[in-house]
Amino acid sequence: MEKTIIIQRYNPEQDQAPSAKRYQVPFDHSTSVLDALLYIQQQLDPTLAFRWSCRMAICGSCGVMVNKIPKLGCKTFLRDYPAELTISALDHFPIEKDLISDMAVFLDHLQAVKPYLINDSQNTEPHRQTPAQLKKYQKFSSCINCGLCYAACPQFGLNPEFLGPAAIVTAQRYNLDSRDQGKAQRMPQLNGKNGVWACTFVGFCADVCPKQLDPAAAVNQGKVASATDMLISIFKP
Amino acid sequence: MNQPKRSDEPIWWALFSAGGVCFAMVIPGLVLTLGLLYPLGLLPEAAFSYSRVQQLLQSFWGLAGLAFAGAAICLPLFHAMHRVHHGLHDLKLAKGPLAKVLCYGLASLLSAVAIVYSGIIA
Repeated sequence: MEKTIIIQRYNPEQDQAPSAKRYQVPFDHSTSVLDALLYIQQQLDPTLAFRWSCRMAICGSCGVMVNKIPKLGCKTFLRDYPAELTISALDHFPIEKDLISDMAVFLDHLQAVKPYLINDSQNTEPHRQTPAQLKKYQKFSSCINCGLCYAACPQFGLNPEFLGPAAIVTAQRYNLDSRDQGKAQRMPQLNGKNGVWACTFVGFCADVCPKQLDPAAAVNQGKVASATDMLISIFKP
Repeated sequence: MNQPKRSDEPIWWALFSAGGVCFAMVIPGLVLTLGLLYPLGLLPEAAFSYSRVQQLLQSFWGLAGLAFAGAAICLPLFHAMHRVHHGLHDLKLAKGPLAKVLCYGLASLLSAVAIVYSGIIA
Protein backbone atom coordinates (compact mmCIF):
# COMPACT_ATOMS: atom_id res chain seq x y z
CA MET A 1 0.00 0.00 0.00
CA GLU A 2 1.31 3.42 -0.96
CA LYS A 3 0.22 7.00 -0.50
CA THR A 4 1.27 10.11 -2.39
CA ILE A 5 2.92 12.77 -0.25
CA ILE A 6 3.14 16.23 -1.76
CA ILE A 7 5.80 18.26 -0.01
CA GLN A 8 6.32 21.98 -0.34
CA ARG A 9 10.05 22.34 -1.07
CA TYR A 10 11.80 25.67 -0.67
CA ASN A 11 15.40 26.76 -0.37
CA PRO A 12 15.32 30.55 0.08
CA GLU A 13 18.96 30.82 -1.06
CA GLN A 14 18.30 29.19 -4.44
CA ASP A 15 14.59 29.11 -5.24
CA GLN A 16 12.45 32.02 -6.40
CA ALA A 17 9.36 30.52 -4.78
CA PRO A 18 8.29 27.32 -2.98
CA SER A 19 7.38 24.41 -5.26
CA ALA A 20 5.50 21.16 -4.70
CA LYS A 21 7.22 17.79 -5.11
CA ARG A 22 5.44 14.40 -5.11
CA TYR A 23 6.69 11.22 -3.43
CA GLN A 24 5.24 7.69 -3.27
CA VAL A 25 5.55 6.31 0.23
CA PRO A 26 4.63 2.77 1.41
CA PHE A 27 2.61 2.75 4.63
CA ASP A 28 0.86 0.49 7.11
CA HIS A 29 -1.41 1.11 10.08
CA SER A 30 1.41 2.54 12.21
CA THR A 31 3.16 4.83 9.69
CA SER A 32 3.27 8.39 10.98
CA VAL A 33 3.87 11.49 8.87
CA LEU A 34 7.31 11.68 10.47
CA ASP A 35 8.03 8.05 9.45
CA ALA A 36 7.00 9.00 5.91
CA LEU A 37 9.33 12.02 5.90
CA LEU A 38 12.20 9.85 7.18
CA TYR A 39 11.47 7.29 4.46
CA ILE A 40 11.58 9.99 1.79
CA GLN A 41 14.83 11.43 3.15
CA GLN A 42 16.54 8.04 3.52
CA GLN A 43 15.23 6.26 0.40
CA LEU A 44 14.10 8.83 -2.15
CA ASP A 45 15.57 12.29 -1.68
CA PRO A 46 18.34 13.03 0.84
CA THR A 47 18.03 16.79 0.23
CA LEU A 48 14.67 17.02 2.04
CA ALA A 49 15.07 19.10 5.21
CA PHE A 50 12.84 18.79 8.28
CA ARG A 51 13.21 18.99 12.04
CA TRP A 52 12.52 16.10 14.40
CA SER A 53 13.82 14.49 17.57
CA CYS A 54 11.83 12.39 20.02
CA ARG A 55 9.15 10.67 17.86
CA MET A 56 6.73 10.66 20.83
CA ALA A 57 5.09 14.10 20.99
CA ILE A 58 7.22 15.48 23.77
CA CYS A 59 10.00 17.49 22.07
CA GLY A 60 7.73 19.58 19.85
CA SER A 61 10.19 19.69 16.93
CA CYS A 62 8.29 18.04 14.09
CA GLY A 63 5.43 20.53 13.65
CA VAL A 64 4.31 20.82 10.00
CA MET A 65 1.14 21.71 8.11
CA VAL A 66 -0.62 18.51 7.01
CA ASN A 67 -3.37 19.40 4.52
CA LYS A 68 -3.05 22.99 5.81
CA ILE A 69 -3.72 22.02 9.45
CA PRO A 70 -0.85 22.35 11.96
CA LYS A 71 0.14 18.88 13.22
CA LEU A 72 2.99 17.09 14.95
CA GLY A 73 4.44 14.72 12.34
CA CYS A 74 4.99 11.99 14.93
CA LYS A 75 1.40 12.13 16.21
CA THR A 76 -0.30 12.15 12.78
CA PHE A 77 -0.84 8.95 10.83
CA LEU A 78 -1.08 8.31 7.08
CA ARG A 79 -3.97 5.88 7.70
CA ASP A 80 -6.21 8.86 8.62
CA TYR A 81 -5.73 10.58 5.24
CA PRO A 82 -6.95 9.90 1.70
CA ALA A 83 -4.58 8.72 -1.04
CA GLU A 84 -2.80 12.10 -1.20
CA LEU A 85 -1.64 14.43 1.53
CA THR A 86 0.14 17.76 1.37
CA ILE A 87 2.86 18.73 3.82
CA SER A 88 4.37 22.18 4.19
CA ALA A 89 6.28 24.21 6.78
CA LEU A 90 4.32 25.75 9.68
CA ASP A 91 2.29 28.81 8.65
CA HIS A 92 3.12 32.32 9.90
CA PHE A 93 6.85 31.65 10.33
CA PRO A 94 9.65 32.35 7.84
CA ILE A 95 10.95 29.20 6.11
CA GLU A 96 14.60 28.29 6.64
CA LYS A 97 14.47 25.33 4.26
CA ASP A 98 11.68 22.97 3.12
CA LEU A 99 9.76 22.01 6.30
CA ILE A 100 12.04 23.84 8.73
CA SER A 101 10.55 27.11 9.95
CA ASP A 102 12.37 29.86 11.78
CA MET A 103 10.86 29.91 15.29
CA ALA A 104 12.89 32.92 16.52
CA VAL A 105 9.85 35.23 16.82
CA PHE A 106 8.06 32.69 19.03
CA LEU A 107 11.13 32.20 21.22
CA ASP A 108 11.47 36.01 21.63
CA HIS A 109 7.85 36.21 22.73
CA LEU A 110 8.28 33.31 25.11
CA GLN A 111 11.33 34.95 26.67
CA ALA A 112 9.44 38.25 27.08
CA VAL A 113 6.98 36.70 29.57
CA LYS A 114 9.80 35.37 31.82
CA PRO A 115 8.84 31.68 31.58
CA TYR A 116 10.39 30.54 34.85
CA LEU A 117 9.64 30.62 38.58
CA ILE A 118 10.47 34.01 40.10
CA ASN A 119 10.85 33.77 43.85
CA ASP A 120 13.37 35.83 45.79
CA SER A 121 12.92 34.11 49.16
CA GLN A 122 16.15 32.57 50.41
CA ASN A 123 14.25 29.75 52.10
CA THR A 124 16.06 26.42 51.77
CA GLU A 125 12.89 24.47 52.63
CA PRO A 126 10.97 22.92 49.71
CA HIS A 127 8.02 24.99 48.47
CA ARG A 128 4.99 23.05 49.62
CA GLN A 129 1.89 23.09 47.48
CA THR A 130 -1.61 21.71 48.04
CA PRO A 131 -3.31 19.62 45.31
CA ALA A 132 -5.75 22.52 44.80
CA GLN A 133 -2.85 24.95 44.23
CA LEU A 134 -1.24 22.52 41.79
CA LYS A 135 -4.48 22.07 39.88
CA LYS A 136 -4.69 25.80 39.11
CA TYR A 137 -1.73 25.75 36.72
CA GLN A 138 -0.95 22.06 36.08
CA LYS A 139 -2.85 21.86 32.79
CA PHE A 140 -0.97 24.84 31.34
CA SER A 141 2.39 23.40 32.38
CA SER A 142 2.30 20.67 29.73
CA CYS A 143 3.12 23.03 26.83
CA ILE A 144 5.92 21.60 24.69
CA ASN A 145 6.58 24.81 22.70
CA CYS A 146 5.90 23.14 19.36
CA GLY A 147 4.43 26.33 17.88
CA LEU A 148 1.38 24.65 16.30
CA CYS A 149 -0.85 27.23 18.01
CA TYR A 150 1.09 30.05 16.31
CA ALA A 151 0.59 28.43 12.91
CA ALA A 152 -3.12 28.12 13.75
CA CYS A 153 -3.64 31.65 15.09
CA PRO A 154 -5.00 34.07 12.45
CA GLN A 155 -4.22 37.02 14.72
CA PHE A 156 -0.54 36.02 14.92
CA GLY A 157 -0.68 35.72 11.12
CA LEU A 158 -1.96 39.30 10.84
CA ASN A 159 0.32 40.69 13.53
CA PRO A 160 3.56 38.84 14.35
CA GLU A 161 4.08 41.20 17.31
CA PHE A 162 1.20 39.39 19.09
CA LEU A 163 2.70 37.43 22.00
CA GLY A 164 0.66 34.45 20.85
CA PRO A 165 -1.03 31.46 22.53
CA ALA A 166 1.93 29.48 23.91
CA ALA A 167 3.69 32.51 25.43
CA ILE A 168 0.47 33.61 27.14
CA VAL A 169 -0.22 30.03 28.32
CA THR A 170 3.24 29.97 29.85
CA ALA A 171 2.79 33.39 31.47
CA GLN A 172 -0.46 32.12 32.99
CA ARG A 173 1.21 28.88 34.05
CA TYR A 174 3.68 30.83 36.24
CA ASN A 175 1.24 33.57 37.29
CA LEU A 176 -1.12 30.92 38.69
CA ASP A 177 1.65 29.04 40.54
CA SER A 178 1.48 29.63 44.30
CA ARG A 179 5.31 29.46 44.51
CA ASP A 180 5.78 32.27 42.01
CA GLN A 181 6.13 35.99 42.81
CA GLY A 182 6.75 37.29 39.30
CA LYS A 183 3.22 38.20 38.21
CA ALA A 184 3.89 41.96 38.48
CA GLN A 185 6.84 41.55 36.09
CA ARG A 186 4.81 39.55 33.56
CA MET A 187 1.58 41.56 33.54
CA PRO A 188 2.91 44.57 31.54
CA GLN A 189 3.54 42.25 28.56
CA LEU A 190 0.03 40.76 28.82
CA ASN A 191 -1.57 44.22 29.33
CA GLY A 192 -0.17 45.70 26.11
CA LYS A 193 -2.01 45.78 22.80
CA ASN A 194 0.10 42.85 21.58
CA GLY A 195 -0.55 40.88 24.78
CA VAL A 196 -3.80 39.10 25.62
CA TRP A 197 -5.84 41.84 23.91
CA ALA A 198 -4.70 40.93 20.40
CA CYS A 199 -6.63 37.65 20.77
CA THR A 200 -10.17 37.58 19.35
CA PHE A 201 -11.00 34.13 20.76
CA VAL A 202 -10.95 32.27 17.45
CA GLY A 203 -10.05 29.16 19.44
CA PHE A 204 -8.24 27.26 16.67
CA CYS A 205 -5.12 27.17 18.90
CA ALA A 206 -7.06 24.91 21.28
CA ASP A 207 -8.13 22.63 18.41
CA VAL A 208 -4.60 22.01 17.16
CA CYS A 209 -2.76 21.81 20.51
CA PRO A 210 -1.21 18.30 20.63
CA LYS A 211 -1.27 18.40 24.43
CA GLN A 212 -4.94 19.51 24.64
CA LEU A 213 -4.00 22.20 27.13
CA ASP A 214 -6.58 24.69 25.83
CA PRO A 215 -4.46 27.77 25.09
CA ALA A 216 -7.62 29.73 24.23
CA ALA A 217 -8.84 29.29 27.81
CA ALA A 218 -5.47 30.45 29.16
CA VAL A 219 -5.54 33.56 26.98
CA ASN A 220 -9.07 34.40 28.09
CA GLN A 221 -8.18 33.87 31.75
CA GLY A 222 -5.32 36.25 30.95
CA LYS A 223 -7.86 38.82 29.74
CA VAL A 224 -9.69 38.64 33.06
CA ALA A 225 -6.33 38.97 34.87
CA SER A 226 -5.37 41.96 32.71
CA ALA A 227 -8.75 43.69 33.20
CA THR A 228 -8.44 43.14 36.97
CA ASP A 229 -4.89 44.50 36.83
CA MET A 230 -6.17 47.65 35.10
CA LEU A 231 -8.94 48.13 37.67
CA ILE A 232 -6.46 47.78 40.53
CA SER A 233 -4.05 50.21 38.88
CA ILE A 234 -6.84 52.84 38.69
CA PHE A 235 -7.59 52.65 42.41
CA LYS A 236 -4.01 52.23 43.60
CA PRO A 237 -2.33 55.56 44.38
CA MET B 1 11.73 43.47 24.82
CA ASN B 2 10.83 46.83 26.34
CA GLN B 3 7.71 47.35 28.41
CA PRO B 4 4.62 47.95 26.24
CA LYS B 5 1.99 50.59 26.97
CA ARG B 6 -1.13 49.39 28.76
CA SER B 7 -3.95 48.75 26.29
CA ASP B 8 -7.34 50.45 26.81
CA GLU B 9 -8.98 47.28 25.49
CA PRO B 10 -10.21 46.08 28.95
CA ILE B 11 -12.78 48.91 28.91
CA TRP B 12 -14.22 47.88 25.53
CA TRP B 13 -13.93 44.21 26.44
CA ALA B 14 -15.88 44.78 29.69
CA LEU B 15 -18.66 46.58 27.74
CA PHE B 16 -18.53 43.78 25.13
CA SER B 17 -18.89 41.12 27.84
CA ALA B 18 -21.74 42.94 29.57
CA GLY B 19 -23.43 43.41 26.19
CA GLY B 20 -22.99 39.71 25.45
CA VAL B 21 -24.84 38.82 28.64
CA CYS B 22 -27.67 41.20 27.64
CA PHE B 23 -27.79 39.71 24.14
CA ALA B 24 -28.10 36.24 25.64
CA MET B 25 -30.51 37.00 28.51
CA VAL B 26 -32.55 40.13 27.73
CA ILE B 27 -32.83 40.40 23.94
CA PRO B 28 -34.45 36.96 23.35
CA GLY B 29 -37.15 37.80 25.90
CA LEU B 30 -37.78 41.18 24.26
CA VAL B 31 -37.91 39.66 20.77
CA LEU B 32 -40.39 37.08 22.02
CA THR B 33 -42.69 39.54 23.79
CA LEU B 34 -42.40 42.72 21.72
CA GLY B 35 -41.52 41.14 18.39
CA LEU B 36 -43.75 38.05 18.31
CA LEU B 37 -46.32 37.58 21.09
CA TYR B 38 -47.57 41.19 21.23
CA PRO B 39 -47.93 41.71 17.44
CA LEU B 40 -49.70 38.34 17.19
CA GLY B 41 -52.20 39.55 19.76
CA LEU B 42 -51.33 36.79 22.23
CA LEU B 43 -50.76 39.27 25.07
CA PRO B 44 -53.44 41.46 26.71
CA GLU B 45 -53.58 44.84 24.94
CA ALA B 46 -53.87 46.74 28.23
CA ALA B 47 -50.56 45.38 29.55
CA PHE B 48 -48.72 47.34 26.87
CA SER B 49 -50.66 50.60 26.99
CA TYR B 50 -48.45 53.72 26.82
CA SER B 51 -49.35 54.92 30.28
CA ARG B 52 -48.71 51.52 31.86
CA VAL B 53 -45.32 51.08 30.18
CA GLN B 54 -44.42 54.67 31.12
CA GLN B 55 -45.37 53.96 34.73
CA LEU B 56 -43.26 50.82 34.68
CA LEU B 57 -40.20 52.65 33.35
CA GLN B 58 -40.67 55.45 35.92
CA SER B 59 -40.53 53.01 38.84
CA PHE B 60 -37.51 53.17 41.19
CA TRP B 61 -37.07 56.92 40.47
CA GLY B 62 -36.70 56.31 36.74
CA LEU B 63 -33.91 53.78 37.25
CA ALA B 64 -36.06 51.07 35.65
CA GLY B 65 -36.14 53.06 32.39
CA LEU B 66 -32.38 53.60 32.59
CA ALA B 67 -31.77 49.89 33.22
CA PHE B 68 -34.03 48.99 30.30
CA ALA B 69 -32.22 51.37 27.94
CA GLY B 70 -28.88 50.02 29.18
CA ALA B 71 -29.75 46.33 28.90
CA ALA B 72 -31.80 46.47 25.72
CA ILE B 73 -29.90 49.13 23.73
CA CYS B 74 -26.62 50.56 25.10
CA LEU B 75 -24.71 47.44 26.17
CA PRO B 76 -25.81 45.33 23.15
CA LEU B 77 -24.69 48.26 20.96
CA PHE B 78 -21.20 48.20 22.46
CA HIS B 79 -21.15 44.41 22.08
CA ALA B 80 -22.08 44.63 18.39
CA MET B 81 -19.69 47.48 17.58
CA HIS B 82 -16.83 45.64 19.33
CA ARG B 83 -17.44 42.73 16.97
CA VAL B 84 -17.63 45.08 13.97
CA HIS B 85 -14.38 46.76 15.05
CA HIS B 86 -12.48 43.47 15.37
CA GLY B 87 -14.12 42.18 12.20
CA LEU B 88 -12.75 45.20 10.32
CA HIS B 89 -9.30 44.39 11.72
CA ASP B 90 -9.63 40.79 10.53
CA LEU B 91 -10.57 42.03 7.04
CA LYS B 92 -7.51 44.33 7.14
CA LEU B 93 -9.80 47.35 6.78
CA ALA B 94 -9.03 48.92 10.14
CA LYS B 95 -5.58 50.46 10.24
CA GLY B 96 -5.06 53.09 12.92
CA PRO B 97 -7.53 54.57 15.39
CA LEU B 98 -10.21 55.76 12.92
CA ALA B 99 -12.22 52.49 12.94
CA LYS B 100 -12.11 52.41 16.73
CA VAL B 101 -13.33 56.02 17.05
CA LEU B 102 -16.12 55.40 14.51
CA CYS B 103 -17.27 52.07 16.05
CA TYR B 104 -17.28 53.05 19.71
CA GLY B 105 -18.26 56.65 18.85
CA LEU B 106 -21.40 55.41 17.12
CA ALA B 107 -22.19 53.08 20.05
CA SER B 108 -21.69 55.98 22.50
CA LEU B 109 -23.82 58.39 20.46
CA LEU B 110 -26.73 55.98 20.08
CA SER B 111 -26.43 55.00 23.76
CA ALA B 112 -26.61 58.66 24.78
CA VAL B 113 -29.71 59.14 22.61
CA ALA B 114 -31.32 56.04 24.18
CA ILE B 115 -30.57 57.18 27.73
CA VAL B 116 -31.71 60.77 27.14
CA TYR B 117 -34.87 59.52 25.46
CA SER B 118 -35.61 57.08 28.29
CA GLY B 119 -35.23 60.10 30.62
CA ILE B 120 -37.68 62.16 28.56
CA ILE B 121 -40.30 59.39 28.55
CA ALA B 122 -39.92 58.85 32.25
